[in-house]
Formats: sequence, structure tokens, C-alpha cells
Amino acid sequence: MANFLAQFQTIKNSCDHLVIAVEDVSDLWPIVKDGFEERLPFKRASLNNKTRNPVFVEKLAAEFILTTDSRLRSRFPQEQLLFWFREPYATVVLVTCEDLDEFRTILKPRLKLIVQNDEREWFIVFVSKAHPNNENATKSAKKVYARLEVEFSSKKRERCCKLDIHCPEASFWEDLESKIMESIRNTLDRRVQFYEDEIRKLSEQRFMPVWNFCNFFILKESLAFMFEMAHLFEDALREYDELELCYMETVNMIGKQRDFGGVDRGDDQAVLLNPGNKPLTQIVQDDSFREFEFRQYLFACQSKLLFKLNRAFEVASRGYSFIISFSKALALHENILPFCMREVWVITACLDVVNATASHYIDGLVAPDIEKEFYRLQGDLYSLCRIKFMRLSYLIGYGTEIERSPVNSASLSMLPWPKPAIWPSVPPDALSEVFTKEKMILQETRRVKHFGIQRKPLPLEPSVLLREANRRRASLSAGNMFEMFEGRPVFNEGSGSEASTKMSPSQKVRSSAMSRTNSSPGNFESSIDRPMRLAEIYIAAEHALQHTISNPSLRKSLSSLEEFEQKYLELTKGAADNYHRSWWKRHGVVLDGEIAAVCFKHRNIDLAAKSYEKVCALYAGEGWQDLLAEVLPNLAECQKILNDEAGYLSSCVRLLSLDKGLFSSKERQAFQLEVVNLAHSEMKNPVPLDVSSLITFSGNPGPPLELCDGDPGTLSVTVWSGFPDDITLDSLSLTLMATSNGDEGVKALRSTSATVLEPGRNNITLDLPPQKPGSYVLGVLTGQIGHLRFRSHSFSKGAPVDSDDFMIYEKPTRPILKVFKPRALVDLASAISSALLINEPQWVGIIVRPMDYSLKDAVLQIDTGPGLAIEKSHVIEMESYADVSQSAADVGKSDAAHKNGSLAIDKHFEQLRLHDGRIVFPGWANNVTSVLWIPIRAISDRLARGSSSVSPQRQSIVDGMRTIALKLEFGVSHNQIFERTLAVHFTDPFHVNTRIADKCNDGTLLLQVILQSEVKATLTIYDAWLDLQDGFAHTRKGDGRPNPGFIPLVISPNSRAGILFSICFDMSNAEEEAKAPQPDSILNIRYGISGDRTIGAHPPALESPGPEVVRQDLIFRSALVLKRPVLDPCLAVGFLPLPSGGLRVGQLVNMKWRVERLKDLEENEVLKDDDEVLYEVNANSDNWMIAGRKRGHASLSMKQGSRIVITILCVPLVAGYVRPPQLGLPDVDEANISCNPAGPHLVCVLPPALSSSFCIPA
Amino acid sequence: MIVCVAVVGHQNNPLYIQSFTEADDALKLHHMVHCSLDVVDERVNNPKKSGPTLNETFLGLLYPTENYKVYGYLTNTKVKFIVVTTDLDVRDADVRNFFRRFHAAYVDAVSNPFHVPGKKITSRAFAERVSTIVKSFGLSSAG
Repeated sequence: MANFLAQFQTIKNSCDHLVIAVEDVSDLWPIVKDGFEERLPFKRASLNNKTRNPVFVEKLAAEFILTTDSRLRSRFPQEQLLFWFREPYATVVLVTCEDLDEFRTILKPRLKLIVQNDEREWFIVFVSKAHPNNENATKSAKKVYARLEVEFSSKKRERCCKLDIHCPEASFWEDLESKIMESIRNTLDRRVQFYEDEIRKLSEQRFMPVWNFCNFFILKESLAFMFEMAHLFEDALREYDELELCYMETVNMIGKQRDFGGVDRGDDQAVLLNPGNKPLTQIVQDDSFREFEFRQYLFACQSKLLFKLNRAFEVASRGYSFIISFSKALALHENILPFCMREVWVITACLDVVNATASHYIDGLVAPDIEKEFYRLQGDLYSLCRIKFMRLSYLIGYGTEIERSPVNSASLSMLPWPKPAIWPSVPPDALSEVFTKEKMILQETRRVKHFGIQRKPLPLEPSVLLREANRRRASLSAGNMFEMFEGRPVFNEGSGSEASTKMSPSQKVRSSAMSRTNSSPGNFESSIDRPMRLAEIYIAAEHALQHTISNPSLRKSLSSLEEFEQKYLELTKGAADNYHRSWWKRHGVVLDGEIAAVCFKHRNIDLAAKSYEKVCALYAGEGWQDLLAEVLPNLAECQKILNDEAGYLSSCVRLLSLDKGLFSSKERQAFQLEVVNLAHSEMKNPVPLDVSSLITFSGNPGPPLELCDGDPGTLSVTVWSGFPDDITLDSLSLTLMATSNGDEGVKALRSTSATVLEPGRNNITLDLPPQKPGSYVLGVLTGQIGHLRFRSHSFSKGAPVDSDDFMIYEKPTRPILKVFKPRALVDLASAISSALLINEPQWVGIIVRPMDYSLKDAVLQIDTGPGLAIEKSHVIEMESYADVSQSAADVGKSDAAHKNGSLAIDKHFEQLRLHDGRIVFPGWANNVTSVLWIPIRAISDRLARGSSSVSPQRQSIVDGMRTIALKLEFGVSHNQIFERTLAVHFTDPFHVNTRIADKCNDGTLLLQVILQSEVKATLTIYDAWLDLQDGFAHTRKGDGRPNPGFIPLVISPNSRAGILFSICFDMSNAEEEAKAPQPDSILNIRYGISGDRTIGAHPPALESPGPEVVRQDLIFRSALVLKRPVLDPCLAVGFLPLPSGGLRVGQLVNMKWRVERLKDLEENEVLKDDDEVLYEVNANSDNWMIAGRKRGHASLSMKQGSRIVITILCVPLVAGYVRPPQLGLPDVDEANISCNPAGPHLVCVLPPALSSSFCIPA
Repeated sequence: MIVCVAVVGHQNNPLYIQSFTEADDALKLHHMVHCSLDVVDERVNNPKKSGPTLNETFLGLLYPTENYKVYGYLTNTKVKFIVVTTDLDVRDADVRNFFRRFHAAYVDAVSNPFHVPGKKITSRAFAERVSTIVKSFGLSSAG
């Protein structure tokens, strides 16, 4: 059957559509042909796939072929069976007949003969030529057709249809199509069944010796081809897949050595998409095919179908894995293949697949994730192609042009060298090329990286090419090879050293035998076995490749450095662009870096910088510092060339902030030098530089600095410098941010003086001006290096900047500074609340209580109010103060035993001087409560006034009030001010109350003086005397002192004492009085006071108080008012009772008053020497008519007890209660008149009695 | 032979990367590990693709390249383990086993109270343990 392969191919190539046979019985085809062929291709057809499920296919191509056609006639039955797929799928029988008899006799037998072959799917088209106007003809045609239907159609299947030539029915064509389709479907089903049966039969023999893959292939592909013709691409694809599987099994069958293929001219070019590249007959080998061609053929068939199914993605996906697996297969046979055939094949295959899939790919047709996957595959293909291309370039000596980047190293250093059976040798005519190459190698200079960074270049080769190439040459000794190494520095140090260590034992052995015979390039052709030099290897490889490569464009790409670079760029760009459109962004960005390297080489710096930036951002974003350290210097160099100062600076800073192990200290110093130099140069656009990664700062550990409102302070901050050397910061400032409210302006603390930061930890102190209350965290560190402003946001937690912290933008949460809300920092209060002695120097105590706040250098300004003066002559005393309440609280804190001792130790005492009304606090008073004793004197020029029962006046408290205005300035810079005005109460020691205790008959008055102690101190009275006012005198002409036996008299605080004085009215003459008029009596008390200033009043603060000091007696003077008795009547006026009959209007009545002299008037102040009294009667003239003298003198004896009666005749004028007339004595003071018995206020006056005498005659 | 193992944090930052090659070419391994994160990302972000292996920590072969293989493993805390091996025929079971042991070592290392989560693993004990595991990987796959 394998013999039919060629024929099969021809058939396959010649027919690519279904065939429909036309049995033209009545020569009708020329008439209907156009109508029939118009229906092609069938727009929509329903067919069954291999699993007998209906599938709709579109645009099904087909061809009508007459049975008489040569194509259908000249076939052998065997062929027909084998290539059944090309046989007609339906047979259309065209008939016409107008006569029933004719039908019966001629047509029917003929048709029966035609349709008897069951193999064929047939149906009859009856063509009616009858003109519609010709009724007979129409009728007979109908009859014949009816007859036809009866004969050939069955219930199961309609096999007839009728075409009216003159007026074809609309439904005819649909009918025809459905009939054709039905036939095709049936035929297809039957043939599929047939092929499947055949394939199964064949498959059963697979492990038998008779098995022939070619036969199986023909059957399988026939089936696949049939499906393809019927547009059942899915089924066709499945057949090819199965075929591939089966083939791989055959290939891998052990024990059969087969020719691989691939040695023909042009085989280096992959033919993944062109199944017809090589006729299959050429690749037949025994019972199978050559692997090299056949696998490509199968893939080509599959991809063709996939493209028809619009599945470009799948082509790419299958293509990639196919290339990988095929490349492995090539590797297995590399020794028989031309030099680098594998690499060349992969390159061409990748490019083919990439181009074909890209051109077939329609955007937006597939799901987004498939689309991404598609681009990823494109990228992969490009990338694979790129790697192989780089490998080829390296072999011909372009290795120096390939960037030794991680990506290139990763792909190339793990990719083994080609393994030809024998490494190609230099053609004899290539001598000059070798020289040129040699020269090129010698001239090549390694590009020195910016900043003088020296890195061991990454390997691009799996092992040293020199060794590998020479090893693969037949008779070569390792010793000679080592001479090569010694003679010429090996380009790759890394792999070279590896190689030399491996080979070192042999080297030692042979080192003595080494000769340098072949160091001159001139004589290399003399010895074939001489090891090749690098230049020779390059040239040899180049020639071998020229031989291998048949693709002109690839050959061109490797022909010169420029072409190579162009191709390299194209491939890299292709890979990068596609990766960017896929999920694999990292791959894309990394390849961008490779493009950047090329751009950089061509001085396209702008583009290079942009790409490098992307790469750096990628690595920096995810913290891959090692990789970043490789790229960042390149970016920096670009930025420097572009004069991008900001970028360059930030790159330098980033370089500095990378892990310290990544660069040597020398390199790091170079980075710093760049920054500093640039900072001090004239920068055109000074931009702030972010050094967050390099300089970090933190507050000192421990609790935050606590300040009271308004206090300045000093903030100590730790700054970590990542610079390798000391760096001078021309200025430095640090912002503080309030944690509570963000809108509160950020405060900057400045340190204008230059600061030198050492590498590592630095402590910096900053002056802190007064801040608003709240807590603050560190904000931003800014500063200036030269003209360069920099800022750092980075907060370190008390450790050097962690290279891992690239993503942690931790805000400093711990407050560095707490400024408290305004609160009382100190309290000034008076030490005592009780009164002090007025007019005496007294200590006023002021308790100064600092409240958790130091009173260092505090200054107190004392301003006394009116009536109060500081005793300037005295020092001010200050002592520590043990507050009772405070020490009670302290008990809880410290044990009692310790307390006493500590209190004793803590006792401080100091004397201070007042300067300009200010005193400065001593140091010990900074934090302890102290009391300040200020000597003062309240001045009052008023004399104390006693009160008596007669005039009970009490002194107002306000009189003794004095104020002291205190102003305490304290705080670090006396910024805190506390002002308070204290009221101090002063008083006299006693309140004096007097009363006349008794009045003796002899005129002696006992004056009781009650002394009320007003102070909280014990008063001792040593002496008391009374200076009496005029009119009074001491009895017995004494000095007015009380009985000395009672003296001294001690009066406890708030108690009372009394002293009795006996006095009498002074009868002394008036001359004496004129000499010393004394309005008030004065009580003088000489007393002593024994009190404590901590309690209240105390002895005057003359000297320091102490018991040993001589007693100082004080004098208290108080004015007393003595009054003579007020009521001293000398005349008594009595109203004598009225007659009992009552008063009547008009009736005369005698009003009588008795005036009696009560005492002698001799010594009286009434100095009238006559013995008459003036009287006057007052009466309301409306009410009373008075007869007689209303006013006049009446004689009254001067003697006591003399009396007279004054009688006045009165007539009441009105009735009612009226006021009676009154008798007054105008000459006598009213006080001296006693009304006894007192006259009535009102008297009742009756109306006049009815009397005729008053009647007036009519 | 395993040429490189790496622990990559959940923000794709390297936490531990150790190469086991003699040549001074760690950078290329860094690159491989870094680029393989693309594949890890893709698998993690496309649950459709990972499908039934959604709860599987072992991500399998990330990179079918010609010359080396990259395997991935994703812990529950989204920490990735990446292994680069030059063995071209490695059994999945071996790699799984390797990762399981590696994971245990990692858990022990980060359980150290002095280790700051999310920071590079600097523990020497961990490094030694890893190198033991790496060495034994070669043996077990050979045997």
C-alpha cells in the first residue's frame, strides 16, 4: 500500500472538495448546469462528525462532475476503495420524459439499472421542459413525474424532485440542496465507518512485524483529509493528533535504528507551516517516515487546520512546545546534523510560528486571558529565538557585543554548546579573516562601568568555548590546550577559573612539557592537530554556519556586526513587546533593559534612560537589590550624560542606600563624592532630593520629652546616616507634627549650624521653641548639602536603615514630644489664714508649691498694696515647708521610719534679700514646697475703737485687709508667669467692749472693759491703764490701773477677759479742761504676745524669733467713749386729770399742769439764776379756744421739791377725739423734763348738750 | 542538581535566596527566580487556570525551558518558594517532597522569636538546613 503514497499525494493535492456526480440521462446537464453550479459552495450544511453528532459547516465547497467525465471513469476498483474520499458523495440523476409510455419502456429500466448500485447515494431530478402554456405537455409531464415518484421514492426516503425549466418553483433549489446534503451526509457516514474499520484493523497489527506505518498513515490521513474536505476541521485535527501520537510511538520503538533526516540542503529552515514542502515519498524510510521531516509535516498539517479554525493561539502554544521537544530531538542527533543546525532550525521555526500566528491572530476574538496567554507565547517564541541567535552570534565572535546581563547569562550560560561530531576547522582560504578577527579580539576593550564599579562579568557560556571547541576536535591534548589558555587571557574569567581548577592536575604534570611552538598565527595551517585559537574558532564557526544556513535573511543577520545588532534588537523588542501585553511583565521589563543597553551603546541615551528607569523601578519595587545594583549604575550613567541632575542625584542616593554588601566601600565613596560634588556645584534647577532611604531619624528611646505649655526645650534626635563617609550638612531641620490635629501647622526645628553626620548613628540636638499643647511626632527631616536641599521621610526604629524596609513607610507613631495643656505649675498661697497684728512688723508666710515643675531660677516680685509695707531692713526668710496634707499623702509612699529622717534632711532654710522688689529663689526650692516669710507691717493710723453696750459698733473686717501682689517668673527662660494677689488680714490684738457694770450711790461708776482676743496667739497683759476723757476721773485720784494682783493676765486665743475700772464723774473746774481737751478715753494695755508665725499673729518680726530674746512689750491703745447718763430730768410736768364729767363742746374746762422741781439746779448747766420758768401752751386753735395767757413765766422756787400748778381755761370747739393742749417749757432742755404723769394724747370731747339758751328765736 | 532555592515574600520581595553553583553567577539565578514570579503571579491571579489545584501549595513546573527547570510552591501566607534545578528529568513527587521539607524548615526559621516577619531570613541554622535538604534532593532523585 505504501506504493500508493505518491499517488495519494497527487490525489490529495488535486482535489480539495467534495464531488457530486451527475448522471445525465436525458442530456439535460448543459441546460441546468448554470443553475446547479450557482448553488455552490453550499452556504450551510449539516453533516455528522466522527461521533455522529450533527455539525453545521459553512461554505462547503463541492463540484458537479458528469459521470461520463474521465476523472470518474478511469479508476480501478482497488484504488476506488483506497482513495474513497475522492469518490462522488452524491449522484444526481437528471431525467426528462413527456410520455408515459416512453417512461415505462425506456426510462424506467434505464434508471433502475443506474440506481441498482447501493453504494451510491442517488436521487432523481425530473426536468420538465413543458411550457406552462402547453397544457397537454404540462399535464403529461406531471403524470410522468407522478409515476416516477411512485417507482423510485419510498416512504423512507424521497428520491425525486422536479425542476420546471420555464418556471422553476422557488422551493426546488432548497429541495435539491437538502437532497444533496442528505446524500453527502449518508456517504460521509458510510465512508467514515469504512475508514475507521480499516484503521482499527490495521491498528491491531501495530506490534506485529508486518506493521507498516505508511499504510496506517495513508488510511488515517485519508480520513483526515475527507474530514477536511467536508469542513469538519475538528475531526481532521483529531485524526492528525492521533497520527502524531502513533508516529511518536513508532519512532520511540526501541530496537529500530532509523535515519533521522535533516541533512538535506535547506533542512535548517523549519517548515512548520508548509506541509507540502517536501513530498512525502522522499522521506519514506522502510515502513515509516524520517522523523525530521515527518514531524514537521504533521505539525504543519495541524497548524493548517488550526488556522482554519481561527485558533492562532493554539498554533503558538503547540508550536512552542513542538519547537522545544523537536529541539531536544535535534540535540539527540546533533552529531549527524550540520554544525549548529539545531540553533538555526529553532530560530527559523520560532520566527515562522511567530509571524504566522501574529498574522492569523485576530484581536478581540478570544477571551482576555487567552489573549494574554497568546502574547506570552509570542514573547516566549521571540525569547527562545533570541537566545539561539545570541548563541550563534557568540560562536562567530560577537560575544563581546552581547550584554553580560543576568537575563542573557541565565539563558546562555545554561545552554550547552553545540555538539557537532567534529568542531569545524578553519577553511584554508580564511587566513586573512582570522587575522582580522584576531585583531578585533585584541582591540576589544571592556566597557568600564560608571563610578568605576568593577564586577566580575556574568558568564555567557556554559564552559570555555576554546576548550569545548578544541575538545571536539579529534586528536588534541589537554596540554596544548592549556598553552592556549596561558598564551591568551581567557575572556571569561569565571568559567575560565572553573576550568583551570578542574584541569589543574594535568596541568601540573604537563607544564614542563609545554612548548610555545604555535603562538605565532603564521604557521597554523602546518598542523591540523594544533589546538585552535579563539579567532580561528570564530572564523571556523562562521564558515560552518554559512554552510549550514540556507535562509538568506538569517545569513545576512550574522554577516556583520550591524546586521547582528539589528536582528538582536528586533528579537528583543519583539519579545519585550509581547511580554508587556501578557501577564509576564517582569520578563518584558527585563528585556527592556537589554534594549536599553543597545540604545546606550548607540548613544541613544534618552531611550536607554527611560528603559533603565523601568527596570530599576521593577527591581526596586520588589526589593531585588542584587539585580537593582546591576542596573542602577547604568541608569545613573545615562542620567549623568543627559544632565538630569535630579535623577542622577536620586540614583546616587539609591545606590548608596542599597545593601552595603553590594558595593565595595570605594564604590560607595564614589557615589557619595558624586552627590557632594554635585551639591556644591552650581545646579541649574535645584530640586529637593529624597534621601529617605539613606538618612533616617528617630527620637531617642524612652519616654517622650515632656514640656509644659510655653516652655522651650531641647530635642535630641538620633539620625542614622547611610553614607559611607562623614557628610557635612550645611543645615538641618526637622518638622514636628501634632498627632491630634493634622491641620495644625507643622513646626520645623532648625539647626542652622553645619552638622557633620558620621556613618551610622548620630545624636543631634535641636532647640525647641515653645510649642502648642499636644503631642508631637517627628515629621520630615530636611536639610541642605551645598545647594542641594534634601528631605527624608524615613523613620527608623532606633536602628540603621534596614535594606528590607523598602515597602514599609511606617509613620512614627511614638510621640517624641508632649506639650501639656496649660495647667497650674505653681501655687502661691498664704501660709496662715488667721489675722496678724496690725501696725507691728509681722511675718507673712507665702507657701510656694511647685506642681511637678521646677522653679529653677524663679524670681518672685512682691508688690504690697496700700497700707502695707515690707520691712526693708529685714531679710526675707525661706524655708522648706512640710505641708500637713502633703505629708499625710507621703505616708503612703515612704515608710514612717524613713520619713522622719528624710524630712529632717530635707529641711532647708535660707535668708534672702529683696532687690527692687524681687527675690530670686534658691536652688533647693526648685522642686520642694517652700514657704517664704516676708516681714511686713500693716499701717493703720486709726485708733482702735472699743464698743460699748451703748454704742455697739464693731470694726469691719475690711479695715484690716491688706493685699500683696505676687508675680512669680519661672521656667527655663522665665517664660512662665504666675500672678496672684494674696489678702492678708490684720487686726488689733483685742477687741474692746465696755459697759458700766454698776453705778454706786456715791457716783462711782464701775467700768467693765471686756477684752476679746482677736489673734491666734496667747496674749499676756502686763499692764493696763485708762486715760479718761474729760468729765470723768478715776476714783480715789488713782492712776486708773486695776488691781495689780491680777496682772499679768494671760488671755488664750479667742478667749475673753475683763478688767474693772472704777471711775466717777469729774467735778474738776473748767480751766483744767480747757488745757487738755480730751474727747475720748483711751485704754492702754501693755501686753506681750507669744505666738507662732506659722499659726497666726506672733511677736513682731524684729529679730529672729526665739525664747531667749528679751520680752518685748507692746502697747495697745483703744479709744473708749464714756458718756454721762443721758436722762437727768430736773423738772417734772404732770397733767392733772380732767373733770370726770367729760368735755363738751362749748363747755369751759380748766386744764391743769403741775410743774415740780425734781432736783436742785445749783450745779446744773442751766445757769439761769431766776426762779421762774417759762411756759407755753400749745393748742390747735381750730379745736380749742384758750382763755388766759398762753405763754408766760411762772415762779418756781429753786429748791428741790417746789411745785406750781399752771391752769388754763379752755373751751373745746369741736367734738370728737382731739389732741389736748400741751404745756411746754421752752427754756428747759427736753431731756431735763420728765413727763409724769404724762398727759393723754387725745381727749374725748362730747357734742354740746341741747340747750335753749343757744336757740335763736325765730 | 538544584542550583538555587529562594523564598520570596508575599510582596514579591526576596526573603532568602541561595545559589548552589560554584561559579560566581548568583545574579543570573536572582534573575531566574525574579522572572519566575511572573508565572506564579499568573497562576495565582488566574484561578481559572489553576483550577482544581487551587488549594494546592505546590505550583509545579513554572518554566519549561530547555536547560533548566523552575518549580514553585506557594504557602498559605503567600510566601513563595522557588527552586531552580538543572536536572531535566525530575519527578514531581521528588520536588513535592523537597518543598515539604523546605517548608518545614522555613516555618521553623520564621517561628524564631527574633525573626521579624517580612524581613530577610538571616538564620544560619536555616541556611544549613536548606543546604542539607538541597544535597539530599540530589540523592533521593538519584535513588
